Amino acid sequence: MSSPAGRRDRSEALLEVRNLCKYFDNDGGLFGGLTVDREFPFVSRDPSNVRAVEGVSFDIKKGETLGLVGESGCGKSTLARTVLRLLEPTSGSVYFKGEDLATISGEPLRRKRQDMQMIFQDPQSSLDPRMKVGPIVEEPMQAHGMLDEEGREARAKELLEKVGLDPQHYNRYPHAFSGGQRQRVNLARALSVNPDFIVCDEPVSALDVSIQAQVLNTMQELQDEFDLTYLFIAHDLSVIRHISDRVAVMYLGQMVELADKEELFENPQHPYTRALLDAIPVPDPRSGGRTNLLTGDVPSPIDPPSGCRFRTRCPVLIQPDEFDMSEPEWSAVVEFQRAVKRREFETTDRREIEQRYFDTVPAGDAGTLVEDALSHIADGEWDEAEDLLTTSFADASVCATENPAYEVAPEHGDGRHYAACHRVREAAVATGAAADLDAPGGEAVGELGADD
Amino acid sequence: MSEPLLSVENLKTQFFTEDGTVRAVDGISFDVYEGEIVGLVGESGAGKSVATSSLLRLVDSPGEIVGGEITFKGETIFGLEEGAGGEPQPRDDMLSEEEMRKRIRGREIAIIFQDPMESLNPVFTVGGQLREFIEINRDLSEEAAKEEAIDMLREVGIPAPESRYDEYPHQFSGGMRQRVLIAMALACQPDLIIADEPTTALDVTVEGQILEMVRDLQEKYDTSFIWVTHDMSVVAEICDRVNVMYLGEIIEHAEVDDLFYETKHPYTQALLDSMPRPDRTVHELDPIKGVMPEAIDPPSGCRFHSRCPDAREVCREVHPEPRDLSDEGEETHSAACVKYDAFEVGYEESRPIETEATGGFSAGLTETEDGE
Repeated sequence: MSSPAGRRDRSEALLEVRNLCKYFDNDGGLFGGLTVDREFPFVSRDPSNVRAVEGVSFDIKKGETLGLVGESGCGKSTLARTVLRLLEPTSGSVYFKGEDLATISGEPLRRKRQDMQMIFQDPQSSLDPRMKVGPIVEEPMQAHGMLDEEGREARAKELLEKVGLDPQHYNRYPHAFSGGQRQRVNLARALSVNPDFIVCDEPVSALDVSIQAQVLNTMQELQDEFDLTYLFIAHDLSVIRHISDRVAVMYLGQMVELADKEELFENPQHPYTRALLDAIPVPDPRSGGRTNLLTGDVPSPIDPPSGCRFRTRCPVLIQPDEFDMSEPEWSAVVEFQRAVKRREFETTDRREIEQRYFDTVPAGDAGTLVEDALSHIADGEWDEAEDLLTTSFADASVCATENPAYEVAPEHGDGRHYAACHRVREAAVATGAAADLDAPGGEAVGELGADD
Repeated sequence: MSEPLLSVENLKTQFFTEDGTVRAVDGISFDVYEGEIVGLVGESGAGKSVATSSLLRLVDSPGEIVGGEITFKGETIFGLEEGAGGEPQPRDDMLSEEEMRKRIRGREIAIIFQDPMESLNPVFTVGGQLREFIEINRDLSEEAAKEEAIDMLREVGIPAPESRYDEYPHQFSGGMRQRVLIAMALACQPDLIIADEPTTALDVTVEGQILEMVRDLQEKYDTSFIWVTHDMSVVAEICDRVNVMYLGEIIEHAEVDDLFYETKHPYTQALLDSMPRPDRTVHELDPIKGVMPEAIDPPSGCRFHSRCPDAREVCREVHPEPRDLSDEGEETHSAACVKYDAFEVGYEESRPIETEATGGFSAGLTETEDGE
């Protein structure tokens, strides 16, 4: 047990994740990955992977809450499950109290699970409807051989009270509880084996706001009382801001920014983090609404963009060195390239397109390229225009050719601030693998994206 | 102001279950005028969705609309009169099932549901479904409908609509699917669109895109919306006027700015206080105590009194109807709370009562504690 101040203790890392990758086969099943073709050999097999989590590294210190945020499909849940070894990592390591979970299995792993628990998003489906809540809370203790029958019952009742339920509800079935109360049962069950570390996968997103606040407050009280460490996953940045000490932002399987909470919210460095922050709705009609909304959809993780994965939607893509356009000119070119890629307009009329996207067509090489693209469109050759624009502009940017990894000096607090964006390269205090956390025991950290 | 587009008077919808009558919607009244977005906000179980299904007469057995009147553009969608035996019966001018189906639903009033995957048929192409809908409702030929469908898809921001036309719903992302449904709702240029939590299942970034698009399209087509949501932030962003629901009743109604800055009802205030803020760090959240009681056996008097920080004895006895509390010359701002002088029930003299606020987390299952 530690004092509430123990939460702020940053000395000891409980969990260290190093360069973790998790790929899923996309070619499962009898006909998986097969494509039928009209020409010989008629059928081709194209084994591809869904790169759900790639090259993720972070630490969680004892007693702290690391918030993990990102849009749906960015790999948050996969990361959480891989960290707990509910999924086998493709590569990388997870050190829990100094021991690499990625290398152990079987009984030692099962015993390790006593220290790591998980709370799931849907409080309804994570409780067995045919078991009473008492036995539900006792089951993990039984699995780990804790206490005798009477002791377990006493502990279950004590825990129910701790999470804010009536101990007399021991004999009720889950259906008799509301959503918020079921989530409290889940909390009690996770706590029963006295874990050090709890992964909370969107624990409050299925609850109403008023109930959400009750459960979040309870989770914080329990953290102080039992000295718990949370990995808290949510897509709601308001919740993350409320509960976390440090925040990690994920995009398309990679971590794009990691910093102390105040630092991340007040001094975000990655354009994706900024876009996410701008997109949060504020409960205030005078706030003026959301600004700078992202356009487009998240690309497929089967074939993610090279370099920075956010570059296909990034509002501040860096201009390739060979061009010398002004900022507005470059933005216009980027917008035009994306519009062509998305086939946003129908017209093939050169003048009309020019007027819509360019005040003045840039001079020099860039201008020639744009002119060529416009000619292709005028001839109805959309694919050629797209290829030309993409290879000469989007793919030539440093954002596409190099993997970004930088550490910048924080403005708030003294924690490390990792930002994977080439825009910060001048301000960075460390780059590349050095910006990543060092592996424990002096092991070398593999090159990011080495398996491309 | 001119005639409202849709007017709802004292609407009551009940579900007759084995355990008793669930009064899911219990006497709500509100108007929707042309070209405005009216919010209907409340927690789960407040009766928002039942209310919107009632508007289109989509309530199924064991549910039934048992009272009230719904008027849309001068036509009676629902209305009762006293029959021969004193039993209420549908009025003669009430639209028949066939008229509802053929003329109102889809053409005049469209609805967008929360889960876009469940609203689209997985075995038909997206374009095909949209085309069929346009073909039937607007009496166009197949080719013309296809053209219109592609135009609508482009209008709602689907990239490369010609090629996406032949794809299936599973090939679309959640945000895309919701865009398709909005395209479908707009395709017949209805006067009113009911949006039942359309962005709840989406990420904030996508939600922002969709809300922005809805605002643009609303301006373009001058469609009215009823926007059902539980999210106060969405209300703040998109609605012109707001109705707050609690346990089957509308307890506060105001212009959106007044609702946030001149909040009258304690429930609305509590709801606003319990939200974590993205723009500042809050150390302890101030949740609403307890959980919403069941609509099968609502608390007496004011239904919120069991969780209300301002509850007094009189709240248990008097059931307040919403009253206009605004000053003269201001926009109407009504609330159903007896703590305002307009109600004249002696709130000031009444004794404060213990509420579930003291019961903490176990509220809602308090019988074991109260019984001792």
